[in-house]
Amino acid sequence: MHALPSSRRRPAIPVGLVVSQSGPYAMMGRETLKGALLAIEEIAQDARFDFRFTPASRDPGGVASAYHTACDELIRQDGVDHVVGCYTSASRKEVLPLFERTERLLWHPARYEGFECSEQIIYVGASPNHNVVPLANYMIETIADEVFCVGSNYVWTWETNRVMREIVGAAGGRVIAERQLDLGDTSVGHVVDEIVARRPPALFNTLVGESSYRFGQALHAALARAGVSIPMLSCSLCEPELRCIGPEASVGTIASSVYFESVRRPENQAFVARWKARFGTDSSPGVDAQATYVAVMLLARAVRRAGTAEVAAVREASADHVFEAPQGPTWVDPSNNHCFATPRLARSVPGYAFEIFWEASAPTAPDPYLSTLDATAAAARRRSREEAKMRRPTYLRVVK
Amino acid sequence: MIRPAFPTVSGRSVRLHVPDARDVVLLHRQLGRMGVGVVDEGAPDAMILDIDREPSRDVPCADGTATPVIALVGTETPSRLRWMLDLEPAAVLVKPLRSTGLYTALVMALHAGERRRATLRRIEGLEARIRCRHIVVGAVVAMMTQHAMSETEAFAFLRRRAMARRMTIEALSAEIAAPNGTARHRLESRKASPTGS
Repeated sequence: MHALPSSRRRPAIPVGLVVSQSGPYAMMGRETLKGALLAIEEIAQDARFDFRFTPASRDPGGVASAYHTACDELIRQDGVDHVVGCYTSASRKEVLPLFERTERLLWHPARYEGFECSEQIIYVGASPNHNVVPLANYMIETIADEVFCVGSNYVWTWETNRVMREIVGAAGGRVIAERQLDLGDTSVGHVVDEIVARRPPALFNTLVGESSYRFGQALHAALARAGVSIPMLSCSLCEPELRCIGPEASVGTIASSVYFESVRRPENQAFVARWKARFGTDSSPGVDAQATYVAVMLLARAVRRAGTAEVAAVREASADHVFEAPQGPTWVDPSNNHCFATPRLARSVPGYAFEIFWEASAPTAPDPYLSTLDATAAAARRRSREEAKMRRPTYLRVVK
Repeated sequence: MIRPAFPTVSGRSVRLHVPDARDVVLLHRQLGRMGVGVVDEGAPDAMILDIDREPSRDVPCADGTATPVIALVGTETPSRLRWMLDLEPAAVLVKPLRSTGLYTALVMALHAGERRRATLRRIEGLEARIRCRHIVVGAVVAMMTQHAMSETEAFAFLRRRAMARRMTIEALSAEIAAPNGTARHRLESRKASPTGS
């Protein structure tokens, strides 16, 4: 085994990190930054790489237009070819023309609503077929086909609710109501009151950041007072957020995600151990932090395979190359620059953790335009739920 | 039947009349991602047409029944734009082509296609009714002369009868124009309407 070269002597490749460490979703930004830095540090220590990444970080403060300024500076002043970052779709739409014009590459770790496909973006996070579709199908199959939707007022909620509405509608159910709060708005009282008054059989929550944490707390308290329980579903809730919501209010949400800290696989157990050693035993990698880690690792592997950081070569080298990530095997699908991922469903349990109760048998191809979505298949799922109900023994009758 | 409430493009087909190989590659790639097929023959749901090319015989012109057109605009010169207007495009994409915009253009074109077909069906129906106008006039005159009605009474009677029998006034008028038509309708009308005069 040859001696480990000093990482300082390896050529440095600057990588832009554009994440909001302040503003309405600052907590998520700080978590994703941790994921990026952990990957950059591991690459610097890893003898299999003959280069190192130097992070060039910018904080757009959750302001969409500031993402453009940040990326523009990184590309023009810092000479960066690759940027890892963006969280909301508004921020990504803001910088997409810049990356297309300058032919640089954005590595996008966040899940998003789909219906986009740029040659200058590698979409590392989940596509809509990875999270909202399995969640909606599960809801219809086992909980209800009528749902109350509450979310942050922006494109991710609009489009995610649209998919939910379509699947539920095809099954003969309906969206009871859609309520939306502005990003960062924490005046959740009126929505909580309405939910308690109407008692929907299921609740779909697409709130992000502070709005989501305050809502979780207020709803939990109000439901406890009313002596009611309403199943809540989410396709964004992750471990660090459970801590923000609190020990009791955070329990019992059904979440759909391609990563949970509790994924059972050696690569993940080792990753979680390294994470906790680096950021503290109280710290947990959430799906976005893990995806940011994966994004940097995919970039590093593509640079190694290409032998250069040049954008076109790196993009080509990234295609179809499997990385054994904490979340499972993942790779870039060159037909759409999105990543394969393994959909999972879990329930939040005490101790700020998720218990996985379902996962796809293999990584699923990304389908950003939901071109293979068959909403009418949901009708069959509803029937299966009704049959299951009918088969239920009579001594387990619902008592009100 | 469940009709999707939101526009979808998946499963639809498009024909390309685009000379630039790079544009063709990009369009094939983006359309494939959306689940849209590219066809070379048959009746596609929409057509993407580069207006920089020479207008030629293999490009169907807009005759009202033609497939909706998405125009690719390169050189924005009056002559090219004139040709574009002749095609009555449902949507326009400005070159150079990028990843964004195609989905919107496609949704607009498919929507325009559906609306155009609905409009054509409506026009066909209206034209058929205009062609039948003399039959209606004939029935009104027949009712007036044979049953001593005023023109207003005769027309109101026809309209009421047509509605009751869920048929068009034209179809009813054709029945009345048949031998003994007016006598039969007068009789039935008395039976059916106890308050009738």
